[in-house]
Amino acid sequence: MAPSDGALTKLLFADADGRDLTRLSEYEEVGGYKSLRKALKMKRSKALDELLAADVRGRGGAGFPMGRKASFLPKPKESAKPIYLVANADESEPGTFKDREIMARIPHMFIEGVVIASRVIGANTAFIYIRGEYLTEFEILRDALEEALNAGLVGPNVLGTGWDLTVVVHRGAGAYICGEETALLESLEGKRGQPRSKPPFPAISGVYASPTLINNVETLATVPKILEIGGAEYAKLGVEHSTGTRVFSLSGNVANGGNYEVELGTSLRELVYDIGGGIPGGRELKAIIPGGSSVPVLTADEVDTALDFDSMAARGTMLGSGAVIVMDDRCCMVQLGLRVAQFYMHESCGKCTPCREGTRWMVSILRKIEDGEASQGELDLLLNVCDRILGNCLCPLGDAAAMPVASYVAKFRDEYQRHIDEGGCPFHGDSTLDHVMAPVDQYHARIRAEIEVPA
Amino acid sequence: MSSPELVTVTVDGREIQVPKGQGMIETALEAGIEIPVFCYEPRLGAPVGACRMCLCEVAGMPKLQAACTMTAQDGLVLSTAQTSAKASEGQNAVLEFILLNHPLDCPDCDKGGECPLQDLTFRWGPGATRMRFEKRTFDKPIPVSPLIALDRERCILCYRCTRFSETVAEDGQLVAINRGAGSVIATFEDEPYRAHFSGNVLELCPVGALTSTTYRFRARPWEIQNVPTVCGLCPVGCNTWATTREGKVARILSRNHAEVDEGWLCDKGRFAYGHLKADDRISVPRRRVRRRGFEPVSWEQALDEAERGLKEAGGPVVVVFSGGETVETATAIARLVKEGLGGGSALLPDTFHPALDRFRAPISAIRDADVCLVFGDEPVVERAPVLDLWLRAARRGGAEVITLNSAGSAALQPGSAAWAAAQLQAESPAEELRDAKRSLDKAGRVAIVWSEDDPTGGAHALALAESLGDKASVYLIPRTPNGRGVAAAWGDPGTVPEGEIGALIVSGDEAAGNPDVRDLAERARFVITTAMFESEGTLWSHLVLPGTSYLERDGTTVNLEGRPQRQRRAVAPPAEDELAFFAGVARRFGVEVDPWPTMLPDDHAALSEVEEPDAAVAAPKAAAPKRGQGLALVRYRSLFSGPAVERVQQLQFQRPADEVELSYEDASARGIAAGSTVTVSSNGMSRSLRARVNRRLRKGVVRIPSEHAEGLHDRVEVKAG
Repeated sequence: MAPSDGALTKLLFADADGRDLTRLSEYEEVGGYKSLRKALKMKRSKALDELLAADVRGRGGAGFPMGRKASFLPKPKESAKPIYLVANADESEPGTFKDREIMARIPHMFIEGVVIASRVIGANTAFIYIRGEYLTEFEILRDALEEALNAGLVGPNVLGTGWDLTVVVHRGAGAYICGEETALLESLEGKRGQPRSKPPFPAISGVYASPTLINNVETLATVPKILEIGGAEYAKLGVEHSTGTRVFSLSGNVANGGNYEVELGTSLRELVYDIGGGIPGGRELKAIIPGGSSVPVLTADEVDTALDFDSMAARGTMLGSGAVIVMDDRCCMVQLGLRVAQFYMHESCGKCTPCREGTRWMVSILRKIEDGEASQGELDLLLNVCDRILGNCLCPLGDAAAMPVASYVAKFRDEYQRHIDEGGCPFHGDSTLDHVMAPVDQYHARIRAEIEVPA
Repeated sequence: MSSPELVTVTVDGREIQVPKGQGMIETALEAGIEIPVFCYEPRLGAPVGACRMCLCEVAGMPKLQAACTMTAQDGLVLSTAQTSAKASEGQNAVLEFILLNHPLDCPDCDKGGECPLQDLTFRWGPGATRMRFEKRTFDKPIPVSPLIALDRERCILCYRCTRFSETVAEDGQLVAINRGAGSVIATFEDEPYRAHFSGNVLELCPVGALTSTTYRFRARPWEIQNVPTVCGLCPVGCNTWATTREGKVARILSRNHAEVDEGWLCDKGRFAYGHLKADDRISVPRRRVRRRGFEPVSWEQALDEAERGLKEAGGPVVVVFSGGETVETATAIARLVKEGLGGGSALLPDTFHPALDRFRAPISAIRDADVCLVFGDEPVVERAPVLDLWLRAARRGGAEVITLNSAGSAALQPGSAAWAAAQLQAESPAEELRDAKRSLDKAGRVAIVWSEDDPTGGAHALALAESLGDKASVYLIPRTPNGRGVAAAWGDPGTVPEGEIGALIVSGDEAAGNPDVRDLAERARFVITTAMFESEGTLWSHLVLPGTSYLERDGTTVNLEGRPQRQRRAVAPPAEDELAFFAGVARRFGVEVDPWPTMLPDDHAALSEVEEPDAAVAAPKAAAPKRGQGLALVRYRSLFSGPAVERVQQLQFQRPADEVELSYEDASARGIAAGSTVTVSSNGMSRSLRARVNRRLRKGVVRIPSEHAEGLHDRVEVKAG
C-alpha cells in the first residue's frame, strides 16, 4: 500500500523525498524499471487489461480513461501505418505546474511510463512534446533519457527483446494551444500549431496521419505504478470513477503553495487548509478555481467539495489540469475575469471565428466594466458573448475562456454590478490578484524589462 | 467499380438517400437546402471547420456541429438554421463574430455586389452591430505581389488562400502569421507572391480582402457583362469568364470545367488580357509602298491588294500558322489556298499522330491514375500549367508521378524522352528506368504526359501506351493553344519547296516572330501577314492585316485532349477579324467560305467518341542522346513569355529571371556559388547570367529559359565571373 504522509498519499512521489531520482541508479534502487521488465514479459493485451482495470483517467484536463483511449488504436499487425505514442508535456494551463515537477524530480518514472505505453500499443517511436519554456526540465529529461538509452531501456532492442523504441524530445515554441492534442500534433509535424477538426481522432489518424496515442505526463508517469501494484489494486485508491492519486498544483492566496499528491476524493478543504495551511494574513476564503484557469469557479461555500471528477461535475465545474487556485476576500472577480480573458485572447490560435473574435470582445467589455465605464446592458452582453462562444468553437479553447468568465459573473454578480453602479472597481486597486496567475501584460512587461537592458 | 453504398439521412425533416461518406454540405444541397459556408471549399482538400458558419444541430450530439466536416452516415439527422433554433442562434453568433471587425466599406469595396459575406449577412445576419469598440485596424492595402493587394481588415481568416497555396498550388508562399485576433495573411518572408497560379486566391477569397491590382476600383458588378469563353493562351483550354465593362475586358475569371481545369487558372490566362490594349497594336490594314514604307488602306483596298498580290505572285504558296488561329480561320486559309490558289504547303507548329485519340482521356483522369509518367525536357507547368495542377493532385492522392527529364525523379540526359519511352517497353530497361518500369507493371491506371516538341506527334508515347494494354492514356502537350485544331483543319502539311516562293501567308504573331519565317519571306514574291502587334515580321510583309486576340473573335479551339471548345467574342476587335478577311479573299478566288463560324461546339460538351479506333502505332527507332563536350543546354519556354505577356506591365515580375540552373556537382566543380554571376558560352557566343543551383538537376546539364539562351548552342561551357 502506498505510504501516507498525513493527508498526502504518495504514489508517484513515494520515494522521491531525500533521493535524487533523476539518476537512473537511484531510481533503480527504489524499484525503477521493474514495471517495464514486467510489461515486456506480458502480452500486450494483458498489459492493456491492467490499464483498463486501473480505470485511470487522463491527467491532462479532459479526464478521458487512458485504457479505453489506448484500446481505440488498431492492433499493430492490423495497421498499415506505424503507430506512435505522444507524451503531452506542453503544460501551460495557468496555475498548473505538476508535470514540471514530475519531469524535474522523477523523470525516469515518466520515461518508464512512455516506454511501457509504447510497448502496449506497439509503437516504435514515441515523441515527448515539452513546453518550450521548460528548459531545466528539458535538460533533466534529456539527461535521463540518455541514461536510459545507454542502459538499453529505450532505443534499439529494448532490454534484449528485439523491440526498438526511439524516443524523441521535441520542444514547443510557446503556444498554449499546442497543449491541445491535435494542435500539438500539427506543431510536431512542423506546421502552424492549430487544432484539427475531429473526427478523425488521433487514435485513428494522429501524427503523420497514423494511429497515435497521446497522453499527459502525469498519466504516463502513473503507468509503471499501475503495473507494479496491479490495475485492480490501483483502482482501490481514490473513489469510484476517479481512481488513484493526483498531483494538485496549489497556488494563489494560500499559505503553502506547491504540488501535493493526494488520493482523488480528498476534499478541497483538506487540500487548502490541512495541507496548504489555509489563507494567509487572516483573510477570508472567497473563491477557488479547482482545475486550472479554464474551469468554472467555486465559492467559499463549496470548499467541502471532493476533488474527484463526479463531485466537481455535480458542482458544474471540472478537475481539469489539477490546478487549485485559491482567492481571498480582496480578490476582484472582474479583474480575475479580465486576466483570464486576456490570457485566452492572447493564446487563441486564430483558426476559428468565435474564439478569435469572441475572446477579444470579452476583453474589451471586461476592461470597460473594470474601468467603471460599462452600462448595465454590457454586463448582459458579456454573458451573451460567452454564451455565443460556448460550444461553437473548433476546439475547447474558446470554451475555456467563456466558461470561467461566465461563472465569475454568475457567482459574483453583485461584485460585477458594483463595478457598474459605483463607476469603478470597489477594491480601488487594492486587489490581491497579484498572487493569482501571472497576467499576460505583467509577463510581457517582465520580458521587455529583460530584453531592454539599461545602458 | 461497385457503386457506393447508399445511406438515408434526414436534413431539416427531408429524408434523402445519398452515397455513404458524401459531405453534408452537398447532401443538404441535394435535399434543396443551402447551408452557408465561408471556409468550406472542397477543391482545397479536407474540410477544416474554421469559420463555423455551417453550424448545424445533429440529433444525439450535445453541441452544434460544423456541417462541412460531417459526412453522410446512415440515420444521420441534421437540422440547419432553417429548422433548428439552436443552429440559427449559433449561425447568427458566428456571423456576428465575423462582422465584428469587418469594415463597413461595402460601397467602395470591389467585392460589393458579388460578395458571399455581403449576401449571407443580408440573408442571415444581424441588422445592427452590438460592438461599441473601435474596430481592429491594419495597414492597407498590402501588396502581396504586383498583381494582388491585401486588405487585412476585410479578411475573415477563412484560410482559403493559404490552403490553396499550400495544398493545391503547393507553392507555400501565402501563410498566416501571428495568432488569435492578430492573425493576418502574409507572404512567406514578405517576398512577393511570385507563382504560376497566384491569381486563384482572388476568386477563392469570400470577401474583398484579396483584390487584383488590374481590376481594383475599375468596375461594379451591376455594370459588367460576363462572357463565357475559353482561354487561348495554352493548349489546356481552361474555361473562363471574360468580364467586360463598356466594351473592354476588365478581368478574367475561371469557369469551372470539371474535366479540364476544375476552376483553376494560371496567372497568364488570368492577367494577360492587358495585351488587348497594347500601344503597338495594329488596328488598320496597311500595304507596303516602295521607298515610302507602309500606308494604311481600307478593308476593301486590303482585299483588292491581297487578290492582286496573290494572283501576281502565283505558286508555290506557303502558309505559316501560329497555332492560335480558330479552327474556322485555319479552315478558311486552307480552303483559300487549296481550292482557290491551286494548293500549297504549310508550316504547322505541332504534329499529331492519328492514333492519339485511341488513348484519349479527360485531363481530369490524370488524378485517378496510379502512375503518371511525365516525359520531356520542358517543365509541364510552363507549357500547360493547369495540367501540372492535376499531376500535383494525383501525387497528393497517392499516385506515383515519375518525371523523366534532366531534373526529374529519374534524371536523364536531355533529349532522352523517345529513348526512355522505348526503354520502358523493353523487358529489362536501362538501369535508371528500372524503378519506373516496375511501377508501370504494377499500376492499374497510367497517365503518360509528353511535355516537349515531338515531330512524331506522340508516336513514342503511343507505342508505350499500346504496350501497356488499355490501362494508359496519353496527353501530348502541343506547343500552341490550338495547334491541334489548326493541324486538323489544314491536313497534310506537305513539303515547303526550296528556292523561290510565290505567296507566303504568315498567320498570327507567333508566326511573324518566328526567325525561320524570315528566310521564307526573303524567297517569297508576296507576303501577307496578320498580326496583333508590330514585329520584325510585319516589316518585311507586303500586306499587313490587324490580328485579333482570342477574346475578340468567335470560333472553335481544340485543346490538348482533342476537345473542341467554343471561344466567344467578348469585346470587338479594332477591325474585322481574320476569318472575315480570309473568307473575303477566298470569295475573290471563287471559294465560298462563311465569314463567321457556323457550327460551334456546345459549352462543356463531353469528349467525343474516338474517330479512328484502329489507327496503328509504330514509333520510329530512338537512340539515347550522344554525349558531347561541355555541358548540355536545356532551354525551355517560360509560361510568362510571348507577345501577350510582354505587353502587360503587371506581369513583368513573373517573367523568367536571367538565370542559369546548374547541378550541384557542376557548380562546385567550377567554384560557382548560388546567386553569383557566371558566363555561359558556346562557339564564341557568350551570355552573362546568374547561377542557380538545382540539386535535382543531372550532372552535366544546365537549364536556361529560352529568352535568356538566345545565340547559345546545345553544348555550352559555364565559368564563374
